Amino acid sequence: MPRSPCFFALLVAASVSTTLPALAEEPPASPLPAVPAAVPAAVPAAVPAAVPAAVPAAVPAAVPAAVPAAVPAAVPAAVPTGGFVFGSYGRVSSAGDGTGGAARESDIVAHGSRLDTSNYVELELRREDHWDKVGIDTRIVSTLAVGNPIFHYDANFDAQIAVRNLYLEASGLGTKGVSAWAGSRMYRGDDIYLLNFWPLDNLNTLGAGVRYQAPTRTTAQVHMGFGRPDSPFYRQQAARPAPLNQFGAATVDLLDRQRWIGSARIEQQFSLGVKGGLKVIGYGEGHRLPAGQRESARAGVYEDVPEETGFVVGGQLGAWTGERNTHLNVFARYAEGLAAYGEFASPTGLGPDRSTRGAHELLFAVGGNWEWERFAVMGAAYVRSFRNASPSLDLSDVDEGIVMARPQVWFLDWLGLGLEGSLQVQQRGALVTLEAGDEPTPLVAMMPRVGIVPFVSPAGRGSFSRPMLWLIYTVGYRDAGARALYPNDDVFRVRSVEQFIGAGAEWWFGSSSYGGGIL
Amino acid sequence: MRVSEVLRTCLRGPVASVVFAALTSGCMSFDGLDEPVTLATHVADWRDQVIYQVLVDRFANGDTSNDYNIAPAAPARWHGGDWAGLESKLDYLDELGITSIWISPVYRNVDTDAEVDGYHGYWPQDFTAPNPHFGDVMALRSLVKEAHRRGISIIIDVVTNHIGQLFYYDINLNGHADDQVRGSGEQSPVVHINEYDPDFDPRGIQSETSLGEAGPAPIIFNHEPVSNHMPPEPAVLQRAEMYNRRGRTVNFDDPDQLLHGDFPGGLKDLDTTRCEVKQAMVDSYARWVELTDVDGFRIDTIKHVDREFWRFFAQKVRQRLAAKGKTNFFMFGEAFDGRPELVGAYTKSELPSQDQLARENECVSDGRQITGDQLDGVFHFPQYFQAIRDVFRDGQSTDRIEKLWSERTQHYGLEPNELGTGLAPVRTLVNFIDNHDVPRFLFQGDKAGLGIALLFIMTEEGLPCVYYGTEQEYRGGNDPANREDMQLSGFETTGGTFQLVQTLTRLRKQHVALRRGDQAVVWASSRTGDEEDAGVFAYERAGGDAGDSYALVVINANPNHTASPAYNGAPMKVSQPGGTVLVDVLGNKTAPVGTKYVVGSGGTVTIALPPKTGALLVPEAQK
Repeated sequence: MPRSPCFFALLVAASVSTTLPALAEEPPASPLPAVPAAVPAAVPAAVPAAVPAAVPAAVPAAVPAAVPAAVPAAVPAAVPTGGFVFGSYGRVSSAGDGTGGAARESDIVAHGSRLDTSNYVELELRREDHWDKVGIDTRIVSTLAVGNPIFHYDANFDAQIAVRNLYLEASGLGTKGVSAWAGSRMYRGDDIYLLNFWPLDNLNTLGAGVRYQAPTRTTAQVHMGFGRPDSPFYRQQAARPAPLNQFGAATVDLLDRQRWIGSARIEQQFSLGVKGGLKVIGYGEGHRLPAGQRESARAGVYEDVPEETGFVVGGQLGAWTGERNTHLNVFARYAEGLAAYGEFASPTGLGPDRSTRGAHELLFAVGGNWEWERFAVMGAAYVRSFRNASPSLDLSDVDEGIVMARPQVWFLDWLGLGLEGSLQVQQRGALVTLEAGDEPTPLVAMMPRVGIVPFVSPAGRGSFSRPMLWLIYTVGYRDAGARALYPNDDVFRVRSVEQFIGAGAEWWFGSSSYGGGIL
Repeated sequence: MRVSEVLRTCLRGPVASVVFAALTSGCMSFDGLDEPVTLATHVADWRDQVIYQVLVDRFANGDTSNDYNIAPAAPARWHGGDWAGLESKLDYLDELGITSIWISPVYRNVDTDAEVDGYHGYWPQDFTAPNPHFGDVMALRSLVKEAHRRGISIIIDVVTNHIGQLFYYDINLNGHADDQVRGSGEQSPVVHINEYDPDFDPRGIQSETSLGEAGPAPIIFNHEPVSNHMPPEPAVLQRAEMYNRRGRTVNFDDPDQLLHGDFPGGLKDLDTTRCEVKQAMVDSYARWVELTDVDGFRIDTIKHVDREFWRFFAQKVRQRLAAKGKTNFFMFGEAFDGRPELVGAYTKSELPSQDQLARENECVSDGRQITGDQLDGVFHFPQYFQAIRDVFRDGQSTDRIEKLWSERTQHYGLEPNELGTGLAPVRTLVNFIDNHDVPRFLFQGDKAGLGIALLFIMTEEGLPCVYYGTEQEYRGGNDPANREDMQLSGFETTGGTFQLVQTLTRLRKQHVALRRGDQAVVWASSRTGDEEDAGVFAYERAGGDAGDSYALVVINANPNHTASPAYNGAPMKVSQPGGTVLVDVLGNKTAPVGTKYVVGSGGTVTIALPPKTGALLVPEAQK
């Protein structure tokens, strides 16, 4: 009996590991149709000589017959040289709040301290090849991310997983500096480590892009991609009578619009002394969401949904000494319209025309690191002003910022101590009554926090040396405005002083998204 | 010193200042958020106002972010209207010619109860918080500010009689809100007596066990945040003694039940004789004025509230606002009743007995003793029944209007309230054709009848009040069918009734006599048959504060034939001297705008009007 390609995909997925039940349970209408074709083509060449014994079990004999087109006759002549690479980024901690409760992330701003961020790991498997005949390098990047909670903590044999990368990139297309990629990709530039924040460019789309790196240390790249977050802003489904006089209902998409995002980035680097350098980056994004129609709250009555557009312009100035990881990056970014809401957002606070027109975000950020002998200081700050499209001020209109510093000292090459201090402040466009009987005042929230972080750094000295084991103690003060951000009876509403006492670890190696991407 | 205090002291200073400076520099600012509201008097003479009543939820949706649980297809559910939406339609209201907007209550309500929503605003839960379905304080401020910029005043609806369905009587003492504890339908139409809405008991709702009564039933507040069945705010209202706790009113003719029973639907009756309740209401509602600079209160269900409450509330609100720069604040009440002596009683300055007054003064904490002053005006419900319904809709005789008007000075306050509007309440009755509590005129009436009713309320003494959608010829029946979505009209400005209202507001503005003149009936008829004057009603507006301005209104409410203000050879006589040329500035299908009528010797005016039409005559020199 003929088998569909999806059948084999399921078979392969189910045979890989029992820890991926979600894949095995994926229905035939899986949104990953590319998988089955790619698997048979890659397997024969990619698996080293020692592995073939394992292959037959994963790839049934029926595969070649089912997908003859996927294994062209020319394949044997293009045998590449390469191999698999495994990489990972991860952070995990166990912590309490000093009162017997679990520690929680307590930032009041969008991008706060990394110390109390929740557990997260990326498992990246890459296939990297050099195709001698054509002189092209390729890499297939697949990154599986797992978020909190962790099974050993909540005893649920389950996990929050997501595919964060799934793309193929080919380099050396015609000339050495040209590369192209297609697929699903975390597409981003420099981060501010302390804040776990990519201030200028951080896009997550299903798309494609090209990049050119000139010998003059100029890099230009463009990309375009799509996304359709699962929300009524993008998609509305409704039941309709089945066609052809059949029983029951069929589900139809009344609104199904995907967000187009295009980005362009140009970077120029300059030498600064023997090892140091400067870089200037210009960056822009365009966003568009087509107009559509959806059924209103009155069944059978349709309403138009306007077209949405938006843009981002921004820039970055970076400098580094070339000695260890000493560097400084300054960012400025302005987003308007649809782009002000971020690529995953379902915009709210719309304008009178039910669009995002008029929404905007202005951001300034700075991040850096200075290292000397046994000492290092990391610093970070940003201020951000966001206004939704609604002309009047409301709770989602926000100005916020944070300043943070983390000095560190190494007592031994593998043992050190960090101190972290920060102040985060937020003001929202709403008048609130903080205490019963008080007059309403603008909501201003503030949270200063200090922490001490003794650590073990097996990879040696350096702010970005990983892996790292650490103990963390932080104490923060939540003022009345900050407490008001939480609902009644939430402990964060009740108590002013917040502690985080725990142990944790962080690593990165071989990851296409972390490590080595600081500059 | 505690850790928190150390942190506060050390870090709130210079470091915070740097961050704040960064946040508030340049375009990173909140325009208007920190701007204090300065109270001011925005209305010079309330008689000049034309009120437009808006159910905010039904008017316009200007901010979709507050569309929580809306279901526009269901008349009894939230539809998404909000303050931003209303603000966006001020051009439309400007074009219509209205000068004052009465909006739904602004505080937070029970969201939904028994599958019906609190979209109307009469189920208060938190008197101190804005209704999040309508927006936040800034949105309300913005609406008021923009309205004021256009010369439009804002009146907010207030409820003092009750809270929403926020507690139940634990009659069987099981700590659970039972859907049925007793009830056979013998005492009331309510067959199933539940613990939310038990029948009235003058002793207070009693608990019962299998052995019989067990004393007053405790009340238990709900804690259901999803539907906002949460304990009321301000917190003083969370005490049981703040409520009369006598159960549902089943006989509105019983004064005890009228004043102390729960309003049908489980709306729990506040004990408005208590000082804490009086003060809580003054504080709550005066605060809304202080926060937004609104210009008046429309007050709900006044006849269900003890009279002493109105003395305290009205006087203390006026005093508090006047001290902050706001005078001429207009407070008018709703007594859904056809008896003018009852309705008018809330506008009279009357002192109670000395013992009662002494007791009332125990609530006074500012040293200013209670006087007899009450409200500045009331809805003219007696006129709704006797003129709008009986005459303009049903074609009954017009002399009942004359009688009603002639008794006004007996029933309504004749002296201005101290720190009030400066006008005697008898001059500031609020005249209306329909509202959210009664079927729309067109539900049973016709368009011609609506036209003369509009002419009537726009030209008689008092303040006209137009219910939203009237100008779009909405015709919904009883609540909630009479609370249609305004957006369904497309806010058209070309319809005949829209243009009639527009014309009438323009004429009212143009002719001061229609606003401030004294009023005198010059023709009324007891006849409803084939007689020549059957259905005719005519009155003059002149004198008073109108200077030389003069207007004569003649209405033929007869649905069947042309009629004239004359009978058996005796024509209508007006106060204008013989030879005065009067011009019809309104016109009708047989006499266009500009038709002239000459006052005869002895002040006679001869005019014939087709069925259900009217004329508005002014001296030619004033047209």
